[in-house]
Amino acid sequence: MSRMAHTDIAGAWLADFEAASRRPLALRVRYAFIRTYKPVLDDASYRAFDTIAEYRDWCERNLPAWLGYGRV
Amino acid sequence: MGAFEYRQALEIRDVFSRYSVRYLFIGKSGAILLGYPDTTQDADLFLDRSPVNARAVVAALRDLGFSLGDVEAAEIEQGKDFVQLRHGPFDVDLVFAPDGIERFEDAWRRRVDVEGFPVCHPDDIIASKAAANRVKDRESLPRLRAFREYWVANRQRETP
Repeated sequence: MSRMAHTDIAGAWLADFEAASRRPLALRVRYAFIRTYKPVLDDASYRAFDTIAEYRDWCERNLPAWLGYGRV
Repeated sequence: MGAFEYRQALEIRDVFSRYSVRYLFIGKSGAILLGYPDTTQDADLFLDRSPVNARAVVAALRDLGFSLGDVEAAEIEQGKDFVQLRHGPFDVDLVFAPDGIERFEDAWRRRVDVEGFPVCHPDDIIASKAAANRVKDRESLPRLRAFREYWVANRQRETP
């Protein structure tokens, strides 16, 4: 990515941050939390894992890769 | 079930306070409370693992409308590292041991109060995501780090 492109992206982010900072908290929450179905992940009402590592392993084994829960 | 609403965030704050639960908003939901503009589905709560606190969490969740059975309650009281609840009035992930943060107490000392909501410091949110190192974390970290710089600079300006 060129220096110019990076500057452009940073500028867009800055505008986002400033716009968000002007919104009251209730509105920020309203805009931020959206209901989206995540296959497999949302198909059980309850899951518990002894360790975070077990949870990460479970995600990698069971969730579609496009959800992005796999470790890099 | 609809999306997590502000009134539900207020309910968490008020009910957890009534039960003296020690918790912090973490992850993207924490960042959003700090002002980070992004979207997410669930609330992520980092909880102090002490037995007293874990019991208080169970009582508070039941008060909030989560129908926890005996097994579920016992697992939360044990302080399992990660518990995902999708059968209550809103989706919530309970995290007793997030990646990248050694002790709850450390994060608690660094916490940020946002209108009564205890929120992890952006550095802890970033550390947790960096340590988790998932594809979605890797994608979001540059913007989150940029927000951290913005947030710190704003805070310094606001602090006399």
